[in-house]
Amino acid sequence: MRLRNGIAYAFLAPYLLIFATFWLWPIISSFLISFQNTRVNPWRFAPSLNWGRLVGDPAFYNALYNTLIILVIQVPVMIALATVMAVLLNSPLLKARPLYRFAFFAPVVVGEVAYAAVFRLMFSIDFGIVNKLLGTVGISAISWFDNATAAMALVIIAVTWRWAGYNAIIILAGLQSVPGDVYEAATLDRVSKVQQFFHITLPLLRPIILFCVVLSVIGTMQLFTEPFLITNRGGPGGGTETLGLLLYRQGFNSLNFGYASAIAYTIAALAVAISLLNLFFGRQAK
Amino acid sequence: MKSKSRSLLMRRLALHAALTPLAIIWLFPLWMMFVFSTMPDYGIFNPDIVLWPSTNFVENFNVLQTETNFLRAMFISITVAVIYTVLSVMLTSMAGWALARYRFAGRSIVIAIILGTITLPFAVVVIPQFIMVAREFKLANSWVALIVPPLFNSLGVLFMRQAFSMMPSELFDAARVEGVKEWRIFLHIALPLARPTMAALSIILFLASWNNYLWPLLINSKPGMMTAPVALGTLIGITKVSWGGIMAGAVLLTAPILVVFIFLQRHFISGIAAGAIK
Amino acid sequence: MAGLTLTNVVKRFGALQVVHGANLEIADGEFVVFVGPSGCGKSTLLRMIAGLEDVSGGEIAIDGTVVNDVEPAERRIAMVFQSYALYPHMTVRRNLSFGLQMNGNPKEDTERRIAHAADILQINELMDRRPAQLSGGQRQRVAIGRAIVREPQVFLFDEPLSNLDAELRVQMRVEISKLHKQLGTTMIYVTHDQTEAMTLADKIVVLRAGRIEQVGAPLDLYDDPANQFVAGFVGSPKMNFLKGRVEAVGGGSITVSLIADPSVRLTMPVNSMPAEGTPVTLGIRPEHFTDAGAGNADLKVAVDVAEHLGHTSYIYASVADEALIIERPETRHSGHRQDFTVGLPARRCFLFDADGQRLR
Repeated sequence: MRLRNGIAYAFLAPYLLIFATFWLWPIISSFLISFQNTRVNPWRFAPSLNWGRLVGDPAFYNALYNTLIILVIQVPVMIALATVMAVLLNSPLLKARPLYRFAFFAPVVVGEVAYAAVFRLMFSIDFGIVNKLLGTVGISAISWFDNATAAMALVIIAVTWRWAGYNAIIILAGLQSVPGDVYEAATLDRVSKVQQFFHITLPLLRPIILFCVVLSVIGTMQLFTEPFLITNRGGPGGGTETLGLLLYRQGFNSLNFGYASAIAYTIAALAVAISLLNLFFGRQAK
Repeated sequence: MKSKSRSLLMRRLALHAALTPLAIIWLFPLWMMFVFSTMPDYGIFNPDIVLWPSTNFVENFNVLQTETNFLRAMFISITVAVIYTVLSVMLTSMAGWALARYRFAGRSIVIAIILGTITLPFAVVVIPQFIMVAREFKLANSWVALIVPPLFNSLGVLFMRQAFSMMPSELFDAARVEGVKEWRIFLHIALPLARPTMAALSIILFLASWNNYLWPLLINSKPGMMTAPVALGTLIGITKVSWGGIMAGAVLLTAPILVVFIFLQRHFISGIAAGAIK
Repeated sequence: MAGLTLTNVVKRFGALQVVHGANLEIADGEFVVFVGPSGCGKSTLLRMIAGLEDVSGGEIAIDGTVVNDVEPAERRIAMVFQSYALYPHMTVRRNLSFGLQMNGNPKEDTERRIAHAADILQINELMDRRPAQLSGGQRQRVAIGRAIVREPQVFLFDEPLSNLDAELRVQMRVEISKLHKQLGTTMIYVTHDQTEAMTLADKIVVLRAGRIEQVGAPLDLYDDPANQFVAGFVGSPKMNFLKGRVEAVGGGSITVSLIADPSVRLTMPVNSMPAEGTPVTLGIRPEHFTDAGAGNADLKVAVDVAEHLGHTSYIYASVADEALIIERPETRHSGHRQDFTVGLPARRCFLFDADGQRLR
């Protein structure tokens, strides 16, 4: 290839301009703002103000705790479910495949607000269809919005419903890239279907599942819409307050940009750290 | 032979027995969204279990329209999504082309920066973006604010780059030898061949814009400049509210996309799956 | 139409140098073939001539003008690629007209050129098809047609036949040869197939590891290779190489014995005088063995396998550990492990020193 600086940058320029303005610079800027006192005018450099506050803020620890709980429960449950969906959808024995595929993949295209509204209504305490159905099998009504544990469960259920199909799509694509003759060879070697799943399918899927885990971790770390809209701004009493919600409150309710930026960087750092840990242990396990 | 076909039948039955309840649970919220949108509020609050639609959709929609001017919000959402998709496909395919097909100074640095920042959460940039767009550019409640900042779509760049780098390079060399200008090679050869990829990308981008909530919520919160999800979101959590109206809005947000999804499932799926195969 | 001059042309990819100073003169109207094993730099050299790769050092001149910094489009060349590189979304007609149209060539002239090319290549009935609907040979014709309509000063071919099956390859080879006679334009053709080189070229350029090993007419390379590499590369089946040592020197000739069978001695006229005992390599082509007793020495070999092709036979044999191929007309008596004696004619043998250079 010839060296073509002019032409290459002409093609790149529009994108790079947007990228630098709305992504690269804000990443740096956010870091700088976190060291500023943004509650005075003009802002003043105060290196320990926001970060110092973060370390001692019970609201931060509450949000961090909730976020991590959701992460630890929701991500494994969802990925396991997505793997099951993908493997079953990939079975040659399945009839009416498009119908099942539609059922699991449809939530992927549903907007956050629309599905938040439905979940809120379905899980409403007195007239929600879920409690009514639970009643028919003798389970008494659950206070999905007034009980912190139930509210957390609701957020986890909602997120899992919305995103399991998304991950199943990715895992299914991975499954379909495994050459069929591997399984034929295994069948001739009298390896059972279950053994095939654990000894052939899962090891081959490992990198893709890891990718899904990393994506989900990043998503969960900044979880915002579900606790904002479904459990009513992180209710009850901060019971479902997440880091994403805390960031929103500090940044856009209290307009304390410095503190919100410190929270934002904490979210990013945790997301990167947990992703790296995942990748590290994923490689180790090989 | 007989025992083999028998065990195959059993396995087939077990498979469907496992998958069917799961599929029903998964479809249930969507079905109920539709059912609720057709029920009057007293029906929703009725202690009976109602699983079939009623006939109150238009009334519900009228309530929604008077409370939020939902049609205006839908118009804004559609316009923004279309413009955003066109612009974003243009930008990302140009950038993807350059990264796939040219050797230039700084190439590896540009790729490293794009790859290195792709997984950072949006949360990291939302504060400075907001400050910049709302305070410095004074663009809050504008079309530009809705469309331009979300254009930094690095996944799209990588997606297009992948498509272009899989094309045989001799094709472009042939055109070069024929004296075809670079931008014409891009326009007349590369882009037509990348059509399937562009279709998949367009669908994903349109969906992302259509469903985008946090950024439009922050930047365009003035009535009359809200997108449809933001307008609908304002109703959720208010005590005196028509749930039927909200559900009508949810159906209007969801149904068109679902219909498109049914017809273009393959493109949707390849667009989403492509994120994983880098 | 134009000639070409390469002066000390060098190509580096980063720290890796792949062409080490190529010097070459190509006359106007000549058919030149670059041949060599894969990775020898022949395609890189061609791509530099086309302007698709930067020249790291030296100069390339077309028709007397240095073109190092000239865009491919301005070099008045046309190129045919190994994969044909037809635009898959365009019809054959559009494939032919695209480049001209993009450069603002007048419509009537474009049509005239297309009609002309279609006549030459007999692709008139394919004009409205797309590349996917064509066979390999048809695609190849269209690719050549696309080169013809450019009416270039120089045609460049980059392994154009290697994707075709054997039969079609022979047929297209003849057609390309005819095309050259018809157009009389300078053509540069890259291949790894020495048969293509021998049959097509006015002049063959043999490359190895980024260096030009020898330049010459096909039969000159066959009759008078400069070194062991060229000797081994040109000719099919390959020339046999047998290890030997110098036994006696004197009177403008040397006597060589074979390591595998020291009783075999050949005396050959050579100007350079290596010392006695020097290791040498003796080369002889499969087709140059004679009947026993008809050469200057007899060589007894053990037959491993014999292939009978009717008009000729290839006998795969060995002497001690060294393998040989012997071509004999209609030999029928060479069964497995039979001993077989052939003659070595000294005037058909070549000697190479330890570095592979020819001893003359």
